[in-house]
Amino acid sequence: MTAATGPSSRAATIEALPPAPVELSGVSRWYGNVVAVNEVSFRLEPGVTGLLGPNGAGKSTLLHLIAGLLAPSAGAVTISGRSAFGDPGVYREIGLVPEREAVYPFLTGREFVEANATLQGLPDPASATQRAIAEVELTDVQDRPLAGYSKGMRQRAKVAAAFVHDPRILLLDEPFNGMDPRQRLHTMGFLRRLAEEGRTILFSSHILEEVERVADQVLVVIAGRLAASGDFRAIRRLMTDRPHTFTLRSSNDRRLAAQLLGEPFVTGVTLEDGLLVARAADFGAFSRAVAARAREADVTLYEVLPTDESLESVFSYLVRG
Amino acid sequence: MNAVIARITLRQLLSRRRTLLLVALSAVVVLVAILRRLSASGADAKFTADLLSTLGVATLMPLVALIFGTGAIGAELEEGTAVYLLAKPIRRWVVVATKLVIAIGCSIALTSLPILLAGILAGGDGSGRLAIGFAVASAIGSALYCAIFVALSLVTSRAFIWGLGYVLVWEGFLAGLFTGTRTLSVREHTLAFAQALANPAANVFKADLPLGTAVVVAAVVAVVAVTIALRRLARIEIAGEVV
Repeated sequence: MTAATGPSSRAATIEALPPAPVELSGVSRWYGNVVAVNEVSFRLEPGVTGLLGPNGAGKSTLLHLIAGLLAPSAGAVTISGRSAFGDPGVYREIGLVPEREAVYPFLTGREFVEANATLQGLPDPASATQRAIAEVELTDVQDRPLAGYSKGMRQRAKVAAAFVHDPRILLLDEPFNGMDPRQRLHTMGFLRRLAEEGRTILFSSHILEEVERVADQVLVVIAGRLAASGDFRAIRRLMTDRPHTFTLRSSNDRRLAAQLLGEPFVTGVTLEDGLLVARAADFGAFSRAVAARAREADVTLYEVLPTDESLESVFSYLVRG
Repeated sequence: MNAVIARITLRQLLSRRRTLLLVALSAVVVLVAILRRLSASGADAKFTADLLSTLGVATLMPLVALIFGTGAIGAELEEGTAVYLLAKPIRRWVVVATKLVIAIGCSIALTSLPILLAGILAGGDGSGRLAIGFAVASAIGSALYCAIFVALSLVTSRAFIWGLGYVLVWEGFLAGLFTGTRTLSVREHTLAFAQALANPAANVFKADLPLGTAVVVAAVVAVVAVTIALRRLARIEIAGEVV
């Protein structure tokens, strides 16, 4: 997936490339008068992509469209060039972790994962099950009924069931819900490893730190529309209407502030609580110039920190508009 | 048929608490037959036929089929576990067919077997034939009910209420008032089959619906119900978040 800002600009690119593992072209989905997903286009390539958006933005609807569980009202969703909806064959390529917690409470963890392996038609479901269960660290509790699992354990059983057939594409709806910090880190590392092996992974989360830590790329959905896609740092650079904020510590903050104000791309400087805060229209130009200006002013720089380059800032700017 | 789906469905249907109630209800039919046999009145074919038709066919059979039929797929769709079956490289008609067969099997086990046992235990002239006739007829009736209730559960999330309404209002109330409504009553079809199979004396038992009508209508209803179920599941969607 490459950084882009709107569906129309991507249309030509999409047509020119070979079928991606996952591709959406002008996809809309509505329920009666309610539009859940509106004219969304993107293609996912191997790697981890985080799907972000406020509650009710259409994240789960998008995941279900890609998983072939919902038919698009308009547009097309394809998995390696095949229509996702109405073709059970695509499930050999897809593993899905649904958001809903429901599992079969009477099955043990092992039975649940093995049932998924058998339904996938694997030649040796038992050994595939053991491998998947070991990956999510449920070996010790695999013979306990799912009814007795904690929420985090159930999530891990769902993850094991989703990738037991070694799918090329893994779709996960809020996969880290209910996991403790250690389990989260383990699962994040596991997803990273799967991506490094060439799989395409799309996961939704409302916890930005998780997305920032795991995802190479993000898709931001707001009110059913794709607000942004790509590397979130690249998205931030494209937000030229939002000045980049830096905090600086130096041997002489006042002198440095005066020097920086002479730069055309610096839109403002303030001294707050002993910290010099500078706002710049151009992130790159500021980064390149700040050391030189400090030298000219005979000021020693101790620290330069961009403060609104995080995914949280990017998301917040996108959501607030 | 898919063995994994069959096993999951079987455990799902039998692990519910309401299944215990159905077992108790089945036991009541047998218990009444035993009590009658041991009572001073003794064995009587008329009583046996009444017991099998009212408590067996009119009460036990629809309730059992309603719970198993609506629970086989409807409960999975409602609870969200259906995604683990539908997001698999398996044709959806296989899912419907497997679930239907298991629902029918469970219904027959808890309806036709108790009816057979109760008929034999209650006794009376020709009670063996009565027991077999009602048991076989109830197996056909259970299959018909299950097909209807499985289809209903794929059409509406309130399948249990609609099914109960059909059994209580249409079959229990309207069929008693208006003879025409009996044509579309699974209970009446079953009783017509039972009469044809057991061939009892007219003073022992007589169905209200002619056999020919019952066969034709039951066949049409079965085909329509199965077709609806197959078509609905083939196109059914599982939504993400509620919007």
